[in-house]
Amino acid sequence: MSLLAPALLLGLLGLAIPIIAHLLGREPPRTIEFAALRFLSPDEPTVTRRRALQDPLLLALRLVLLALAVMVLARPASFDRTGVAMVAEPHDAVLLIDASASMALRPGDTTMMDRGIARAQTLLESLPSGTRVGLMTSDPSGPLIEPTLDVEQIRSALDKWRGQGAPRWGGWALTDSVARAAGLLRDTAGDRKRVVYAVGDGTERGLAGLPATGEGGALIVPIPAIDPELPRPGHVGIRDVTWTPAPDLDPRALRIEVHVHREAATDAPQLADDVLEVSVVLSVDGQTAARGTAELLPGSDAVVEFTHTLLGEVAEVAASVALELPDDPLPIDDVRHLWLSADDGINVVVVNGDPSELRAHDEVFFLATAISVADRQQRLRLTSLAPDQLEARIRETGERALADIDVLVLANVRAPAEDVVHVIISRVRAGMGLLVTSGDRVDPADYDARLGGILPLRLREQVELGTAPGRTEAVAEGFAPPDLAHPMFRGIGDEISLGSARVRKAILCEPDPRRQASIVIAYTNGAPALIAREAGDGRVAMLTTSIDRDWADLPLRPGFVPLASAMLGWLGDAAALAASARLDVGDPRPLAGSGPFVVTTPEGAEITLSRDDGQPVVFRDTFVVGHYRVRDGDATANFVVGADPRESHTAWQPMATTPVSDDERVAVAIPQWRGLVVILALILAAESLLRLRRRTK
Amino acid sequence: MAHGGSGALGELVGPELAELLRTHGVAVRRPVWGRRHGQHASARGGLGLDFRDHRAYVPGDDPRQLDWRAVARRDRLVLRQTEAEDDLPIVIAIDGGGNMGYGTGAQTKYRVAAGLATALAWAGVRQGDAVGLVCGGDSDLDTGLLRVASGQERVDAIARRLLAAPIRGRTPWRRLLPELAARMPRRSLVVVCSDFLDLAEPERDSATVEAELIRGLAHLRARRHDVVMLQVLHPDEREFPWDDRRLLRFVDRRGLRPTIEGTGAALRRAYLDRLVAHLHHLDEVAEANGLVLERVQTDVPLHASFVALAGRLAGQPATIGASAT
Repeated sequence: MSLLAPALLLGLLGLAIPIIAHLLGREPPRTIEFAALRFLSPDEPTVTRRRALQDPLLLALRLVLLALAVMVLARPASFDRTGVAMVAEPHDAVLLIDASASMALRPGDTTMMDRGIARAQTLLESLPSGTRVGLMTSDPSGPLIEPTLDVEQIRSALDKWRGQGAPRWGGWALTDSVARAAGLLRDTAGDRKRVVYAVGDGTERGLAGLPATGEGGALIVPIPAIDPELPRPGHVGIRDVTWTPAPDLDPRALRIEVHVHREAATDAPQLADDVLEVSVVLSVDGQTAARGTAELLPGSDAVVEFTHTLLGEVAEVAASVALELPDDPLPIDDVRHLWLSADDGINVVVVNGDPSELRAHDEVFFLATAISVADRQQRLRLTSLAPDQLEARIRETGERALADIDVLVLANVRAPAEDVVHVIISRVRAGMGLLVTSGDRVDPADYDARLGGILPLRLREQVELGTAPGRTEAVAEGFAPPDLAHPMFRGIGDEISLGSARVRKAILCEPDPRRQASIVIAYTNGAPALIAREAGDGRVAMLTTSIDRDWADLPLRPGFVPLASAMLGWLGDAAALAASARLDVGDPRPLAGSGPFVVTTPEGAEITLSRDDGQPVVFRDTFVVGHYRVRDGDATANFVVGADPRESHTAWQPMATTPVSDDERVAVAIPQWRGLVVILALILAAESLLRLRRRTK
Repeated sequence: MAHGGSGALGELVGPELAELLRTHGVAVRRPVWGRRHGQHASARGGLGLDFRDHRAYVPGDDPRQLDWRAVARRDRLVLRQTEAEDDLPIVIAIDGGGNMGYGTGAQTKYRVAAGLATALAWAGVRQGDAVGLVCGGDSDLDTGLLRVASGQERVDAIARRLLAAPIRGRTPWRRLLPELAARMPRRSLVVVCSDFLDLAEPERDSATVEAELIRGLAHLRARRHDVVMLQVLHPDEREFPWDDRRLLRFVDRRGLRPTIEGTGAALRRAYLDRLVAHLHHLDEVAEANGLVLERVQTDVPLHASFVALAGRLAGQPATIGASAT
């Protein structure tokens, strides 16, 4: 504890004032020479010979009052022992607050968010005067204030934002937000230092992994919401909920798996017998349908499995899975929502253009094998057709031939006949997924002529890769790292490792920026390997090499398994994202159909969207976790917005040390005078009462 | 001075009372037994004009007093008696102790008592009565004027003596009565002027001294003197106007009692209770012993107090306002 303004302690000299006042206030007794002293008795209770100060209690109160006032003015403060550092000279700063859901963790009575904001307020109080400070949060709808000298504006914006229910799902990771925060400092003039003070927790999406400097050389100072040495509680959360049809039990039976994780507390020793029993409740259509128990050791996972049979002919029912854990320090990940339906599969039809007796040369073999390994939920149902079969069916039944197909794979197939190709195109535009893989049978000119309207890029020619003029040895091309930001790879991450794959032959494409195709994977020479594009409501992907071993050894690489699953899943989602569609918070939801659409949010609000100029309709307000109902005339296309499971990982990762050098550090003072103010007010009230009583006596 | 009084006399009595004294005299309710002819009804038959009674002649009677007509009717010697009018010796004892010095400016209790005493003496002298004065104070008794005498000179002497009194110390009450008893003509009018609030002496408490005084006065009354206790009080003593929380220091004017400090608010109620009880006690003992207790206040004009006093002497009951409550 020390004083921010010790010189003001001189004010204690003022303690003499009430003493002098009480001494001077001693009224000299009026002398009356009286004859009837006989009737005056010195035994009366208040009759004393007053030599002492008058009203010693009042005097004592006033002395305490004055001493407290002086102490408050001297601003006693303790210094944050973590030594939260800030630049000592006036500078330009942006206060960046982590608004991710993990900030809802309660290390005690208050959440990380409360503590973080308190720390931010303290920091605002302690900033060197003349510092311009702005505000930003990782909440997309949070306050955004350009650097200003008006600290009070920042304060009130923080309070207001906190009152609006932060944190919530859908916040950016701090690493993403830091760039935006540094952008706020871009326009500040002069040579002053630029600093981003990032307040948050030490989780992966929080302070961990923040760079030391941001755009334009802005220093990034991480400020943990609580001291990293302080204990942080463990919690239990639902990591994931998956469900699969269980036709072996009942045609309408479902098997629901709830993955529960127990995060260990930082201060508790991990004992073998520290088993926590957690009740998991499955609610279907608002009614409790089943209850299970998970036994969890600190840091362990458990899977609770339910089987549930859907009643009646209802296509979909809203269900939720919740933990019965009222004291959980992080309650927001204790519930997950899902739509249950008896059929959630994606029908994938592979048109095998080059069937082979040898499995190593069969297009379907690799795909089917990869899917059986990767698609544990068995969403993808693969069937195979010969090109002639497909065309014959289309000729027979028209669009109905493709009605049940969610994803059509043209694997090394000659271009579909002219009389059927329009049906395929129409289905793709209505939502079907189309994957074209290359091979010897793929003629770029035919494909351009027939499917060029929906292909991501027009095809140019088949080339042998790695055979450049002057090269004496044919060197196969490899794959460059995939674009993990593509929605195809959501939730997959580093599993796609294709670095060791070698490609000998591929089809080159015509660059055409107008097509808005995205190159998901490229070869090391820069040519596109996997390109994708949305066509109408459907999605089209083109693999410019073969899916079997004819042109490349891609199917032999471990990355092929998740790639195949992700590719087909993404294509299939476009078709029937429909039923069990599950989005992360904040993800846009394209709505397929003619519209207008009526979206009912979990909060009960109804939002009407209609198709405008043939543009696809996208519902973007998906920041509330829960069930969303979409009505398109008589059809429904419900979806669920689920919590980001990454926010359940509350374990802190190592954080970068502050880039502020020691001679620039200013430890943040934690004010200790607020309690004194309360005591001061109480004593003042007591003094007033006492004075009032004296006067009325 | 219009009435031939000295300056001291005029200063003590004041113009209004002096005017009043032109027409008012002093009368007592019972017959007097003076030594000389006066204006008070005598207890004896005398040389007056008004018929009083007949009585049988006894040898030695003045034959000039025989009522010959009555003798003729009754056939025996009968004397005619007439009402006599004697003078009334007036002895005034005045308390000149420090306790009587309380008051506002010159209007102290002593000045009121002295004014009334002078007025009484003057009225008496004007109707031929003899007047004596004994003055207490400063632990001594001044008996220089105690022997009764008549004439304007005596009134002037009394006025001067009263004005010259130092008004301090205390009156030695225990010596007063023996002095009076020894040097007072019989059937006198004895007027004792004091506040009768605190008669304590150094080794005797007030109640004891007071009881002795009352007993002595009762003894005088038994010897057919008319005894009047003239109690002069200041409004402050009656009402104790200090009722706030300011600190007061009460100093005994006679220097006998220890100083008392306190707030008026704390002292007032008990003081008033005790004062009222004391005044009641005085009323009771005065009545029981046939003493006239007349209570006057310094804030009442002197002539009004004198009229009231004269009325009490003539036998009027005490006015309610002068009672203890």
